[in-house]
Amino acid sequence: MASTFSLRAPLQRLFQTPASIRSILTPPSPFATTTPAPRLAAAPFSTSPAPSARNPQRGGKNRSKQPQTDPKIISMKKHLSLLSPRHIPPPLRMARNRHLRHWTVHRAWQLFRRGQREARDRELMRMHQGMYLACEELRQTEGPGTREEGYLYRVAMEKKGVYGHNGVPIEYARMQTETPAREAWNHGWKRTSAP
Amino acid sequence: MTASSRGGRAVSALLKGSPSICSQCARLPPLQQRLYSAATAAASDASPIQAPISGGDLQTPDLTTPPVMHYPQHAPSQYSIKSGLILTRPPLLTRTLHPFETAFFLYQKRLEERLSAPFRKGFYFRHDTPAELDWRIKVRERHGVAGRDIGRYNPRGRMGWNDEVLVGSPLGASEEAVKERILTDAEMRVSEDGEEIPKEDRIKVERPAPRRTESDEKNDVRKLDRALDRTLYLVVRKGEAGWQFPSGDVLTSENLHETAARILAESAGVNMNTWIVGRVPVAHVVTKPVFKQDNPAQIEKKGEKVFFLKGRIMAGQADLTDNKHGLTDFKWLTREELQDVLPRGYYSQARLMMAER
Repeated sequence: MASTFSLRAPLQRLFQTPASIRSILTPPSPFATTTPAPRLAAAPFSTSPAPSARNPQRGGKNRSKQPQTDPKIISMKKHLSLLSPRHIPPPLRMARNRHLRHWTVHRAWQLFRRGQREARDRELMRMHQGMYLACEELRQTEGPGTREEGYLYRVAMEKKGVYGHNGVPIEYARMQTETPAREAWNHGWKRTSAP
Repeated sequence: MTASSRGGRAVSALLKGSPSICSQCARLPPLQQRLYSAATAAASDASPIQAPISGGDLQTPDLTTPPVMHYPQHAPSQYSIKSGLILTRPPLLTRTLHPFETAFFLYQKRLEERLSAPFRKGFYFRHDTPAELDWRIKVRERHGVAGRDIGRYNPRGRMGWNDEVLVGSPLGASEEAVKERILTDAEMRVSEDGEEIPKEDRIKVERPAPRRTESDEKNDVRKLDRALDRTLYLVVRKGEAGWQFPSGDVLTSENLHETAARILAESAGVNMNTWIVGRVPVAHVVTKPVFKQDNPAQIEKKGEKVFFLKGRIMAGQADLTDNKHGLTDFKWLTREELQDVLPRGYYSQARLMMAER
């Protein structure tokens, strides 16, 4: 007890005196009736419902000593305690050769990804080039009939009805899957109304 | 454009008074005539951009006779314009993984196993229930490993360091083994009473359809459920002209996308749920006009410009009965198969719009 007091004394000097000790130390004020305590009681600081609110009589310590009765929570606590840093394995430590192999695998993966990315870029450039050349040819084309040069190009560049509602049919939103549907393709589809 | 320059053009047209060419052509100096436009661009046909088509026999730019022609603006056209549709069936399946990817994923899974908290059976299964007994049987068969996809590896054992799979091991070879494992594990091995069910009495889970279909096995090129992880392209056979994408002349009142839609309906029937992607042509094939031997100014045979739009098919099948274009046959082919069927120059132009897969 004496050791705790000897620790606490310099702290009290450094920081403000706790309210509980202060109330003991200072004599009761003659103006005590004007303290705002009743107003505080009328508007509680906590808005949580009563059962889950902390019981001021028992305090935190008593509450934690209450035995947990719900077996589900007991089980969850037991198993989730494994996720504490004490039980999680440490970061990987690798010896020299193992680490060099890991580095090689990592570099190979980066190289592989890069190859894929560049192939994709090349593919997109090729497609764009195809569209560009076709559009360029279209721009230099007269017709049809007596239309002037570039008429078809101008119409092709119009975006009327391309975007917006019903711009893309909903059937087109089908995702690729790992295995096909039971009937892989609907060959018997019939148009219900004339196009 | 400012008003003054508009006026200048009008005045110069009046002063020149030449009826054969338009006012804008007359105004410009003849040498640097519209460098950015038709004649110059036609002259640069053999530029490196068009390298892939140089081997073609259909529309190869003839290097010996550069097609710089100073024809007046409103000369009769030497080309007939056609519009076509490259109708594609998008891939329905995801791609198969590269062997390196499969191996790398296994490597990563084992490293992950070394880094993560152990599997807690008690968290997922209540003690002494059929589910727990079932799990116990399956884990025993996997030598105590919770995961189905990492093989026999225990990161916390004495051999925890040995997480690498050796070369030639069947473990990382294919995804099929993992899929198979998941399917067999999905069967319940323990009855409601906690007794083990003999193998013949277990209820089988429904297996997913195979990635290779019946049409794949038969190589039925008219079916659309073939080569499900590839794009298929519709080609039609037109008499002696051979295989080509459906295409036809653009009528005077039409635009490219209208023609493409009309041609598709006329040639392959309406019973296809299709969508024409945008209005911009994705590829084109040009056939040069043939001039008369004695008089190069006169055309013996008109040239042809075919512009292709891209279409997607979502359902249905092509049907050539009563088509108006003399088509005799159709096929749904992948990119490699198209190469064998289409003329070389035609293919190399269409190749520009084709995706890798």
